[in-house]
Amino acid sequence: MKKIVIDPVTRIEGHLRVEVEVDEGGVVREAYASGGLFRGIEIILKNRDPRDAGLLAGRICGVCTNSHFRAAVSSVEDAYGIELPKNAQIIRDLIAMALFIQDHVVHFYHLHSLDFVDVTSALQADAALALEEAKKYAKNPYASSLSHYEAVLLKLQNFVKAGRLGPFAYGYWGHSAYKLTPEQNLIIISHYLEALKFQTELSKAVAIFGGKTPHPQSIVVGGVTSVADMLNPQRLNDYIFSIKEAKEFVDNAYLSDMKLLAAAYRDEIKAGTGRGAGNFFSVGGYAFDATQQLFSSGVVYGHDFSKVEEFDESKITEEVDRAWYSADGEVCYTDLNDDGTLKTAKSDDKYSWIKAPRYNGEAMECGPLARVFVSYAKSNELIKPFVDEFLKDTDLELTDLSSSVGRNAARAIESAYICEYVFKLVSDLLQNIKHDDTQTWAKYEFEKLPHCAKGRAFFEVPRGVLSHFVSIKDQKIENYSVIAPTTWNASPKDRFGKRGAYEQALIGIKIKDTAKPLEVLRVIHSFDPCLACAVHVIDAKGVELGNYKIKSVSCMV
Amino acid sequence: MRLLIVGGGIAAVYLANRAKKIDALLDVVMLSDEAYAPYDRIHLCSLVDESATLQKISLHLDPRVHLELNQKIIKIDKEKKRVFSKDAMFHYDKLVIATGSLPNTPFDISKIKNAAVFRSADDAKSIKEGIKGREVVVVGAGPIALELLERLGKMESVHKVTLLVRSNFLYDKNLSHESIKLIENSYTKDKKMTISYEDEIIDIVVEDGEIKRLKSKKLEIENPFVVFGIGIKPNIDSFRDVLECNRGILTNLFMQCEDDIYAIGECAEVRELGFVAGHVEACVDEAECTVAHLLLQEPKEFVRKTTVDMLKVGEFNLVDVISAKFSNPYEKVTVSAENCVDEYFLREKKLLRYVGINSNTDIAFMQTIMQNESEVAIDELYKNRVAKDRGKLVCSCTSSYHNDLVDIVVKNGVGSFADLAHFSQAGRVCGRCRGEVVKIIEGSQHLIDFGKVKKSAQDVEIEKKVEEAKKRVERYNKLHPKNQLDASNLEAAMQSFDIKKDEVNRWISMVSANMQLHPKFEEVVQSGVKVLNKVPIIWLELADCSGNSEAFIKSANPSIEDLIFDYISLDYHELLMSASGDASESALEDIIKNQKGEYVLIVEGAVPLGLDGKYLRIGRQGETGIELLRRCAKDAALVVAVGSCAFDGGVVAAAPNPTGAVGVAEALGRDDVINISGCPTNPINIVGTLLYFMMFEEMPPLDEFNRPLWAYEGRIHDNCERRGHFEAGEFVKEWGDEGAKKGWCLFEMGCKGAYANASCPSMKFNKGTSWPVQAGHGCMACTERGFFDKYANERVYHEKNSH
Repeated sequence: MKKIVIDPVTRIEGHLRVEVEVDEGGVVREAYASGGLFRGIEIILKNRDPRDAGLLAGRICGVCTNSHFRAAVSSVEDAYGIELPKNAQIIRDLIAMALFIQDHVVHFYHLHSLDFVDVTSALQADAALALEEAKKYAKNPYASSLSHYEAVLLKLQNFVKAGRLGPFAYGYWGHSAYKLTPEQNLIIISHYLEALKFQTELSKAVAIFGGKTPHPQSIVVGGVTSVADMLNPQRLNDYIFSIKEAKEFVDNAYLSDMKLLAAAYRDEIKAGTGRGAGNFFSVGGYAFDATQQLFSSGVVYGHDFSKVEEFDESKITEEVDRAWYSADGEVCYTDLNDDGTLKTAKSDDKYSWIKAPRYNGEAMECGPLARVFVSYAKSNELIKPFVDEFLKDTDLELTDLSSSVGRNAARAIESAYICEYVFKLVSDLLQNIKHDDTQTWAKYEFEKLPHCAKGRAFFEVPRGVLSHFVSIKDQKIENYSVIAPTTWNASPKDRFGKRGAYEQALIGIKIKDTAKPLEVLRVIHSFDPCLACAVHVIDAKGVELGNYKIKSVSCMV
Repeated sequence: MRLLIVGGGIAAVYLANRAKKIDALLDVVMLSDEAYAPYDRIHLCSLVDESATLQKISLHLDPRVHLELNQKIIKIDKEKKRVFSKDAMFHYDKLVIATGSLPNTPFDISKIKNAAVFRSADDAKSIKEGIKGREVVVVGAGPIALELLERLGKMESVHKVTLLVRSNFLYDKNLSHESIKLIENSYTKDKKMTISYEDEIIDIVVEDGEIKRLKSKKLEIENPFVVFGIGIKPNIDSFRDVLECNRGILTNLFMQCEDDIYAIGECAEVRELGFVAGHVEACVDEAECTVAHLLLQEPKEFVRKTTVDMLKVGEFNLVDVISAKFSNPYEKVTVSAENCVDEYFLREKKLLRYVGINSNTDIAFMQTIMQNESEVAIDELYKNRVAKDRGKLVCSCTSSYHNDLVDIVVKNGVGSFADLAHFSQAGRVCGRCRGEVVKIIEGSQHLIDFGKVKKSAQDVEIEKKVEEAKKRVERYNKLHPKNQLDASNLEAAMQSFDIKKDEVNRWISMVSANMQLHPKFEEVVQSGVKVLNKVPIIWLELADCSGNSEAFIKSANPSIEDLIFDYISLDYHELLMSASGDASESALEDIIKNQKGEYVLIVEGAVPLGLDGKYLRIGRQGETGIELLRRCAKDAALVVAVGSCAFDGGVVAAAPNPTGAVGVAEALGRDDVINISGCPTNPINIVGTLLYFMMFEEMPPLDEFNRPLWAYEGRIHDNCERRGHFEAGEFVKEWGDEGAKKGWCLFEMGCKGAYANASCPSMKFNKGTSWPVQAGHGCMACTERGFFDKYANERVYHEKNSH
């Protein structure tokens, strides 16, 4: 067995280390994912005014920036039983939807695409052939013209000529696992560049109602503050315009690039490369039109889409046997081996700052793929045509999506789907305003609210299921706990040796060159890791918030 | 890196100032063996006749230079890179010796009260005290002796002065008899002065540490005060054992003695030229070569230049222009008239030296033909002597004549000596003629017609600064970065991004305005942008949320800033780089090792110090965050802490600070880290700081928290779009009320704009889309220290509210 260490895993948010053990044939037999940073945001939240939780918890992550802000405020609202005005709900959703699209696009193009796309190969592309190639995957390929591809080629040549490429330097260029033709590489790279421009446009959509992004500042307990923006037709129009532009890109570039990848990497998909245990869950959400909902909730085990269990939050438990916490929730750092590698020799060695959440005792995968699977399996009529069309165009089956490429496809399908239906949310808002409902805040008197309360909030956010739990005592936060999407996906093993989703997805993949473990990055990146989100102190008694303390001194074992 | 300078004279001071200017982060330490801060020896005479104080003749020394007084260096330990004084030891990375020279004496005068040399402020003091009631005997005929003689002659307290001259010339043995006579007359017309030629001291009678009687070949003087001005020798005794010396400490043409040791000024001898400096200009040139070799990419060799000397005694006025090639043999042409002599020293039709007494020739012309070694015809020189009607030569260093200066003053409306600096360096090089220049400026004020003045002194100053900035930016062009793109690529890239010229120009104006630069800087800013990619950048993420990285890629003006983001040599940035694991670590090591002192380190995130820093570990070896930070910061040209966590620990250090997190400056224990606070910061501030660093080679003006003033000077509340409502007493009282719909003041909803300094109201976020106040929430002072424990809430701020 040979050990491959990847640290830092780049092109993700935060500090992630992956260690895999490969056999003589280069096949991964064991894998360990480890979060490398602990900040203790929940400890900082303790003893603060519950109304301040949002601004502070928002800082859990600057990439999923709005998600924690909203979830923290919602958990406090849940504790106090504050009913949100419809408009506030919609505005929060609009911010979230724009973030979904922006996040997915940045993830694929800027953080992930270089695992599939060889920048240097694109230089050999023939612009005319690229034009033809692009038409295979989209009726109206995005920004597709001979001069466009020629311009991109020229730009690339300028960048690559020197052989030194700033952020592109030291990539695994020329690796035999790259499968795209020069023209295909060129197409996706041209979208890489377009997406750079486009994602800033989309962040405008977040800022219209959020004040700014990263770290919007317009959500307060009981509602939102951006009422003046909501009542300004120009602001609404700007928002719609941004989303329209996004839709154009998602439909004609993002989605078509996924079809291109699905064709080029068909063997990998069919072999199930990057497939996990097949346990998916979603909490659903984003309602509109009174009866409709973008995502359905439910639980699927072992890729069995014929049976969807209802989601039951009481089945969530958290374990810390392999994480740097003790059973009573204290930091229990057991250090690394002398050579800097993770301590994994014994089955109870601790190796990560990420705790291990389990659902019904199982390690779960959440995220766009889980949302697509669960919604599809629950016959969500809104999403079904989007999935069916993709499967038809790529000649794939539903289960094939449970793979590295498939996770990306699910993200693109979801983006297209959101672009389609976000307008419904806007029109709901317009209807309300038309009927003189301009309320954006539910009035309450803080002093008269219950002095002790517990609340929680579950949301589907770009990377999966996010949950915040708060317990309030004497008008102060007594305890706080977060389980973020990456906490689920990047979870370490539990006491029974059950691997987290990343770890499980790595098992069985073949690494051609152990010095250049591109295949490992592909699997890891397909989950869109967000490590700042993932690391949270353990809540020792499951969702019933327990008491835990943290000591600044480690308990050396 | 520590640059240790031994010496406190003009060469040392010039070097220290230049070094600090080029590299603000350099630790410059200066050891002077005197008890006073550096002063200009040229004006020592003014201390004798009390026409100036020590304070007044002090040399400007950059306040960031660490000056140690009373440190006479007695030993160097090259092995360990240390120097020793009697009671202290100093470590160095680079050592520059600039100990100047020591005056000669015919015998030991250290124990004699009424004898002195004339080299230091202490000497001037002892002469001033000692001459009272005594006959003064000045020994020597060189410029130092002559200058002192002139002053003594003018002092009422001095009744009799005798000059003892060993041979039969004054000033220089090469002067003609006519010249010597002219000089002599200027002194001896004052009856209290006597010059005794071919004379020297043959005996002294010393009692109780005093010379009671002095006997020379020709004279006998009772109770004298003797001043020796008989030449100088390099002050190098402490270094003879460890460094190779001849007359002075031997150096190469870069003024380097050994790997890390340099010598400049009167103590140094350039081996190849056999040259020991004697003039301010040569000392300055040597310092410049040292700086170039030590700190800049383009070392330049020391070249001897033609020098200009001047001696003024009352109405009498001597100018001496000497080429580096001057030596025997030569032919001499002397042109003399009443009270006026011109001497031309020639060899093979080339002018080697010119001495003019009370002459009116164009000195600059003389200098040029000597420097260029042009062939000259003597009648040309003769014409030159009468052709110019520029008045009297005032400043020999800049060849400024009286009428030239009047012209400059009138044309430009120069109101003061300080103003003059923008137009002419007259009075500033050696400083001797400063008083005269001041008088000319004052005397010409009535001639100024302000209607005709074209450029103000400020205009000229700005133009100069722009020029300097341009040169510095151009220098970066010569760097060989990893990201080898050049200006033409940027143009091409702009085209492929469909960026229009006027769009770029608008952006440049915006950045310049944001940096509070004069609009004339826009051109430099533009060229700065073009070479921005030459600065290698390491962007470290420590205990962070990537918010600042996200903000950076979403910067305000998408196409242009994305391009710049693409374009800058962001050689290490974990969020964006394609390399992972070992490959990314080699990228980092490569920069740290091969681009020492060139790269900029940008740090995002707090530094956890608890658990021995192990709350954060990065890389194969499991390096802790603090270890990684130290490694990267050590050889960085500049460290920039981006965002509030890097500023003071931010949210990570909020109470109870579970991981013992601190900001970057505190973690490194440094006070030269630029902080760009904010949660996250506006990316334009990052670009601005990089540009400023390139254009001015120093840190931008900073506030007390080391934040660039241009971005953190204005208070949110003062620049807020809702300020009018505050003044009108129109406040939002609860979220979503009528006031909220109308955009009233958010103070009562806990807006902390009154406590926050930042440029948000003008810059806004996401392409100027909005900012928290516009979104109806109010500011939470995220740029301020400890804001999460103080301001991050929706309540009116009172001290008791804080966490």
